[in-house]
Amino acid sequence: MFSARLLVGLGVVSLLGLWAPEARAVGVPAGTSIDNTAQVTYTVGSVSATATSNTATVTVAEILDVVVTLQTPSVPVIAGAAQQELLYRVTNTGNGPETFRLQMTSVIAGDEFDPVAAAPSIYFDTDASGDLSPGDVPYVAGSNDPVLAADAFVTVVVVNDIPAGVVDGNRGFSRLLADARTGTGAPGTTYAGQGAGGTDAVVGTSGADGEATGQYLVAGVALSAVQTQAVADQFGGTRPLPGARIDYTFVVSATGTGSASGAVFTNDIPAYTTYVPGSLRLNSAALSDATDADAGDFSAAPVARVSVQLGTLTQASGSQTVQFAVTIN
Amino acid sequence: MNSRTQFYAFVALIACAFTSQAFAQGQSCISLKTTAQVEKEVVNEKGEKSKVLVPAGKVVPGTEVVWTVTANNTCKQASDKVVIDNPVPEHMTLVANSAFGAGSQITYSLDGKSFAPAGQLTVKENGTERPARADEIKHIRWQFKDSLAPGAMAIARFRAVLN
Repeated sequence: MFSARLLVGLGVVSLLGLWAPEARAVGVPAGTSIDNTAQVTYTVGSVSATATSNTATVTVAEILDVVVTLQTPSVPVIAGAAQQELLYRVTNTGNGPETFRLQMTSVIAGDEFDPVAAAPSIYFDTDASGDLSPGDVPYVAGSNDPVLAADAFVTVVVVNDIPAGVVDGNRGFSRLLADARTGTGAPGTTYAGQGAGGTDAVVGTSGADGEATGQYLVAGVALSAVQTQAVADQFGGTRPLPGARIDYTFVVSATGTGSASGAVFTNDIPAYTTYVPGSLRLNSAALSDATDADAGDFSAAPVARVSVQLGTLTQASGSQTVQFAVTIN
Repeated sequence: MNSRTQFYAFVALIACAFTSQAFAQGQSCISLKTTAQVEKEVVNEKGEKSKVLVPAGKVVPGTEVVWTVTANNTCKQASDKVVIDNPVPEHMTLVANSAFGAGSQITYSLDGKSFAPAGQLTVKENGTERPARADEIKHIRWQFKDSLAPGAMAIARFRAVLN
């Protein structure tokens, strides 16, 4: 029984090295004292006695660990666009307060173009807006390096310009790197006495540095509308006489890899014609003339005009057919 | 009984009376010592790797610490019913099945009051009893079956991971 238990114990331990920190976000805070005191009771003859041991103490060393995560999925851009943003989060996954240095690079293999780092190119998302805004403070290495408590994070905006000449479907990578100022290295590397409160600092599984790579995707989209018309005169023919009706059909389609959000079709009613009330249709479904819950409306003033909200259009959306009719005055 | 044997019996009686009296006055017979160590891999000149225990001074979360309690009998009499108690240190999690001590029966406790052998501790959860997990064990007790002879040493050991 005893030997079996011993073997099990040793078997488990042999799998673990001296420094085998688990990938937990944060452990016991650096500098904490772990104390242990044992007690023994026994008898000598008929007399019972108790004794306590010394208190053995181990001090929790500081783990240096950092994780950088991309907060922005692929950012759609167009050629020549300035100040395009990628959002990152830098999290101190160690167990003590640590200062981190930030760097970015946009010269990375595997993409079709290199975004051009703006100046400055790294900002703190000071106002927590999730994008670059006037209140955001630029990062200056060595000057305002972020100091993060254990498990705390800071949100960072990386800003690049997109070169002219890139074409639809091109990708450009940009990377944010963060490393612990105390030091980096192979996991287990120890910086004696340099941890929080004078304890040792030990490089964790991350190597005390982290990085994440974001992507700009040139995503052009073009909306086109093809117009056809049919004239019906009051005599059964197709002549554009006063009183004749013209049925217009517009086929709107998106081409390219991007998406057009908030697309609106508008068309002024041609001069010398009058809109036929109730004739507006989207994909054959009737739309009321009033400005209401449905996607379309007709307004008589200041300019007689029909408009239809098409929402977000992509190439995959397929074509949208808008129809309305006028009569010739 | 000749005079020589009488003399030895007398000396033995004196010695016995002396130690009994000294013990009764509060002198401790068992000296208890706790140490914290971690395993370190070393490589010898032949390139063979092995594990040695080195003192644990500063450790990072996730590290397994080997806690060793040694009980030395410093008296000239045997100590009986030797029981070592050790709480699992705060911020640490007991490594399952890691406690051992030659010649001892080991029991565990969740609260430091009721002790039971491994596998017999239960926790009530949602109205049903389930076996306690290693991380819920807060106390370990080693009950040594045999007396601890004068000068002898008993060892209790367990491993715990820093949270």
